[in-house]
Amino acid sequence: MIVVLIILLVIAVLAAWIVRTAGWRFALQRLGSALLILVLVTFITSFLLRLVGVEESQREVLRELGLSENAQPCVSALGTGATFDEVNRCVDERGLDDDPFTQYAKWAGDVLRGDLGPAFYKSGDAEPLTGTIAQRMPRTAWLFLYSQFIALAVAVPLGIWSAYQAGRPPRGIPKIAWPIGVAAMLIVSWAFGWTLAAVILLALLVPTAIYHGLRGGRGGDTAVNMLAFVLLSVPAFVLGETLRYVFSIQRGWYSLSGYAPWGDGVGTHLKSIWLPALVLGLAAAPVYLRLLRADMIQNLQQDFVAVAKAKGMSNTHILLRHVLRPSTVTLLTVAGLNIAQLVNGAIVVEFIFDFDGMGSYLLEAVARREFFAVQTLVALVAVLFILANTIVDMLYTVVDPRVRAQAPT
Amino acid sequence: MTNVAPDMARASVAAAAITEAARPKRKVNWVFRFAVGWLALVVVICMLGELLPFVKDPNERDAQAISQGPSWDHWFGTASFGQDVFSRVVIGGRISLFVGFAVTVIGIALGGLLGLLAGFLRGWVDAVVRVIISVTLAIPALLLVIFIVAIQGQSLRTVIIAVSLLAIPALARIVRGSTLQVADRDFVKAAKVLGVKKLSILVREVLPNVMPTLVSFAFLTFGIVLVAESSLSFLGLSVEAPTITWGSIIGEGRIKFAETPHMVFLPGAVLFLTVLSLNFVGDQLLKRFDIKESGI
Repeated sequence: MIVVLIILLVIAVLAAWIVRTAGWRFALQRLGSALLILVLVTFITSFLLRLVGVEESQREVLRELGLSENAQPCVSALGTGATFDEVNRCVDERGLDDDPFTQYAKWAGDVLRGDLGPAFYKSGDAEPLTGTIAQRMPRTAWLFLYSQFIALAVAVPLGIWSAYQAGRPPRGIPKIAWPIGVAAMLIVSWAFGWTLAAVILLALLVPTAIYHGLRGGRGGDTAVNMLAFVLLSVPAFVLGETLRYVFSIQRGWYSLSGYAPWGDGVGTHLKSIWLPALVLGLAAAPVYLRLLRADMIQNLQQDFVAVAKAKGMSNTHILLRHVLRPSTVTLLTVAGLNIAQLVNGAIVVEFIFDFDGMGSYLLEAVARREFFAVQTLVALVAVLFILANTIVDMLYTVVDPRVRAQAPT
Repeated sequence: MTNVAPDMARASVAAAAITEAARPKRKVNWVFRFAVGWLALVVVICMLGELLPFVKDPNERDAQAISQGPSWDHWFGTASFGQDVFSRVVIGGRISLFVGFAVTVIGIALGGLLGLLAGFLRGWVDAVVRVIISVTLAIPALLLVIFIVAIQGQSLRTVIIAVSLLAIPALARIVRGSTLQVADRDFVKAAKVLGVKKLSILVREVLPNVMPTLVSFAFLTFGIVLVAESSLSFLGLSVEAPTITWGSIIGEGRIKFAETPHMVFLPGAVLFLTVLSLNFVGDQLLKRFDIKESGI
């Protein structure tokens, strides 16, 4: 209850702020379109359920058994041990015989009242889905939070640095760097094994070396750009499996002993989550990195940068105070849109690391053919995504007054 | 399939226009040639498959060679029943590449059409297409694909349809934006004033100018679809068991990871290099086709 109240309070404050800065018309227009998309998305997910057992042969079997021909989702969810009464009750409960609109209205009504249905029909004790969400959501939420922190911690400094380097005259790597690099790799491979050294080598040296050989000059920028490109092209599951092999199987630095909440101590908590968060963060980082770099390079061309330079401001001050500021706005929007990517990543990463979050619950529900729970989850994630983006969209106009003047498309 | 990817690619191209103006032009882009060469190599080997002398039967079991590392006989090592992993990668690549190709073609045909009509006709067509785009992009991609595949059963057809449902709106959004820009240029306005038919303007003036962007994004989409399909089969939710894909080989290798790391790393490297090449080619094409404002 308290959580709901806090969320409502935050939304109310935000709404008031947006109405004050952007005006009623804009706020209503945005909210209206968000609401329309929200209803359409949830309706579509509810409609998709009707495609379960749409084949005539399956319907024939159900009819011969004396059940409703739309009962397939219930039969899948309840499993082979179910009685006819149970299936019939489930069909009634879910409104499978009704037309799509009545069925949707029933579902939406239930959800709005806070009744999400059972997490697993088959388990017998029928634990409510809300309980499962309450138990597992914090884990995924922490995973998201840490991964975003890691992604930004990687992307922002590298992005600023490479945007700055992009405009500087070409400079080769000093000759001394090569023996130092080789020595460092030897030490790493001697102390921690060759696989870790190989991972670092692949991530850092190969792109740098290739680009130095081929392009010459502006090495910093091109190397960072290439690193972003490599990270962008590694599928999340390949990256996850590689890091699991190196850090978990070979080194034993990360144990798959399961998630530890904050209550068990900060150290234990962080220890139980750092590798999945790192994988998710590294998967998200290149998007931020490339966008920030591109945005800053464009902003560095602006007249106000020349003015600031002419006034004698230091490069650091110009970069951090004058150029980073407008670029943060872009980063904010992208962070909102990137939630979808995070959800995709979380499903894969939680599977790899046996992390008991929402992603692995979803896969479990799919494997058990619990379509009702899956449908509700898909709809809820979509709703969260739309809400987050509407808020970001509005924040965007609050932070950057220029946007308010033009109609956003 | 993020909606962020195209924005990122566009922004990078705009930045490249600034940074590369100052740099000396290279005569030959070797990285581009490597990328195209790698793609051609992968496609040719996967298409020829069993016809090649070094590709064995991917399902042949060999009790003498179980979970062995890479060797001269088995380039990528062997799986837990002694199957040759290299042959599995070649045969599995066929399905992975076919899904990528089919989805890209469907996405370009339907998404391109939707985007073109929306951007050119504006009005209610645009409104409808925009709603379709926002609705589909509001559901995280992998989540929706998993849901559809779970409902419809794990067949090649379902996987292609499910992934296409994501590629279509993503490409429609890109094409719409590009069409809006082209439709605003002078030669299109001139054709309108001259009284040329709408269809004729669309086909002869707008389409050829949207095509370059579409081709560049086809490569980027191919890469994204390849990753999406591989993730799906890695999770065991793509085309069912006896059929091999790149993702399923990796998913199989991870079970006894300490014994068969080569089953994860080598197919993973092939997948990574292919996606990297596709991304690079797409990015370079986008850069090459980028219309400079000053050039108009």
